[in-house]
Amino acid sequence: MKRALNGDLEAVRKSVDAALASLEANRARIDDLNVYPVPDGDTGTNLTMTVRAVDEAVDATSAADRRSLARDVARGALMGARGNSGVIFSQIVRGAADVLGETGAAAIDADAVARALRGATDAAYRAVRRPVEGTMLSVIRELAEEAESQAPSQPVLGDLLVQLVRRGEEAVARTPEQLQILRDAGVVDAGGAGLLELVRGVASYVTGEPVPEAAPIEEHLSFDAIHQELSRYTYCTVFLVEGKGLDREQLESELEPLGDSLLVVGDESAIKVHVHTDDPGAALSIGTRAGTIDRIEIANMHEQTLEREERLLAAVPDAPPAVSGVVAVVAGEGNRLLFESLAESVGPLAIVEGGQTMNPSTADLLRAVQSLDAAEAVILPNNSNIVLAAEHAAAHADRAVEVVHADSIPAGLAAMVAFDGSRSAADNAREMREAVSAVSTGEVTIASRDVQLNGIAIRKGEWLGLAGGEPVAGGDDFGDVTYAVVDELLQGDKELLTLLVGEDEEPLEALLGRIADAHPSVTVDVQEGGQPHYALLLSAE
Amino acid sequence: MEAGHAHALSSTLGRVTISSDVVARIVGETARECYGIVAMAGRKWLPDRPTRGIEIGRDGDGVTIDLHVVVEYGLNLAEVASTVRNRVGYEVGRLTGLTVKAVEVHIDDVRRTG
Repeated sequence: MKRALNGDLEAVRKSVDAALASLEANRARIDDLNVYPVPDGDTGTNLTMTVRAVDEAVDATSAADRRSLARDVARGALMGARGNSGVIFSQIVRGAADVLGETGAAAIDADAVARALRGATDAAYRAVRRPVEGTMLSVIRELAEEAESQAPSQPVLGDLLVQLVRRGEEAVARTPEQLQILRDAGVVDAGGAGLLELVRGVASYVTGEPVPEAAPIEEHLSFDAIHQELSRYTYCTVFLVEGKGLDREQLESELEPLGDSLLVVGDESAIKVHVHTDDPGAALSIGTRAGTIDRIEIANMHEQTLEREERLLAAVPDAPPAVSGVVAVVAGEGNRLLFESLAESVGPLAIVEGGQTMNPSTADLLRAVQSLDAAEAVILPNNSNIVLAAEHAAAHADRAVEVVHADSIPAGLAAMVAFDGSRSAADNAREMREAVSAVSTGEVTIASRDVQLNGIAIRKGEWLGLAGGEPVAGGDDFGDVTYAVVDELLQGDKELLTLLVGEDEEPLEALLGRIADAHPSVTVDVQEGGQPHYALLLSAE
Repeated sequence: MEAGHAHALSSTLGRVTISSDVVARIVGETARECYGIVAMAGRKWLPDRPTRGIEIGRDGDGVTIDLHVVVEYGLNLAEVASTVRNRVGYEVGRLTGLTVKAVEVHIDDVRRTG
């Protein structure tokens, strides 16, 4: 059954109902897309609240003609606008309502829709000095262009709306090409997606049947979309303060210390408060001291965030199978995390515990190689004592294995940076060896026996500094020994010094000050390595 | 606070200073992209300066931002101000690492364009 969309109240009510239902069905998905203008995951909710306000306005209106109905709808959108997307949507509604309110009693045809969408686009663009493409703005503009190109052939209203849904889908799909932040996060624009669902709802009502998506668009959500920063406060707290002679500024200054995103608006008789805080009770107390409070809403934003993360993580697609993976021999929890973070979303990694005094066996390494979900493997022994076992494991493995002679953990990390799981083991080994040869590495440890260094005797139990495997300094002052190693490593044109702090942490402030004074152009990166035996592992590149 | 005053981020390796002018430019660029903002309100600034209508202050170890804007007539002013405040605070924090203690949005005027 086909229904004509005319200006009468019943049709408007049903259209808004259908639009709202379509949006509500997608609210959570749209919240998840929200990374712009601020990644707070509330676009779907804000837009839903705004459309709900329009819905309430058309339910409550006593308008007798099209013009006053249009005015009531626009006013409902303005008053109910929530968030950035809600504000833009209220302008879209106003622009369209201004046009449709002036159509007299004629039936709403394709031409009227085209003019309404043009009015909506003009109104929406008017209110921003520097329009950002790849948002709701570009989607409404494309809808107007589509309607204008279809209108001359006078299509049936339902057909036009279906065509608009298709064009809207294309426009939404293109938003990541237009806006960098969407591309980085691997999402389409949330506001644009919401607008599309509203049009889809109206189209479903007019045609009398659902207008499903043209083709299921696979959502490739990236990790970046999940880990976008969120408010550091827990509760979004909103309430209304009513009374006589309310002092808005006083209230604002009292609420200010409680949190952020503070908004205190209203007049002497009613003030609306919005604050993100860890202490909603304190906010309410301030409110009750000023007047009577009403319409209290407290939402746990972190819970919303966690739910959003869980939904998004469930939607992250599996990575394509890797060509090669890495087996790394690592000592220390911090170092393990460093290797894992470098491998994340790059390729599979298997860690074998071990190091200077705990050498893994060939069998341990072989097991790790065969556990990798990759056709080929690279082994990073990260200690010269383990190279031989690694070579044996490579010779006996069921797949192509390369051994990259990284003889320390910092060298292994440098190699790891050059790893890419989509390349073969041989290609990776070439790049990784190059990375290893570009770094100088050093160690600071406690001498396990008496050694002679340049004629100086270093006694067992004293600090011993090595650079490139050779002892360069010794003595009972950690700072002096370490600085001698640093000085040696920074010979030549080095830009970055990495320090991996061992499980027994030595104070570093004085050393870092000394490095900064003597080598002001070198960037120093200090990481918790957590390795035993070595108070400090160093690399310079 | 006059332009050029520096804000410091300290770390174990020394301090990084960011001048108020840099913060003000970030605020200006961000605000001009915010939906509903049709102009920055001129106070004591020359017409075309990118930092027009923006005052950067210091509060302990963070910054405070005051911005004076002109909003399109017919928009929900509270929601526009809320978006500007969130987005400015977010962008300044993201780009500078400074703690944003307060963002005060002053709607000095409304304008009917078009």
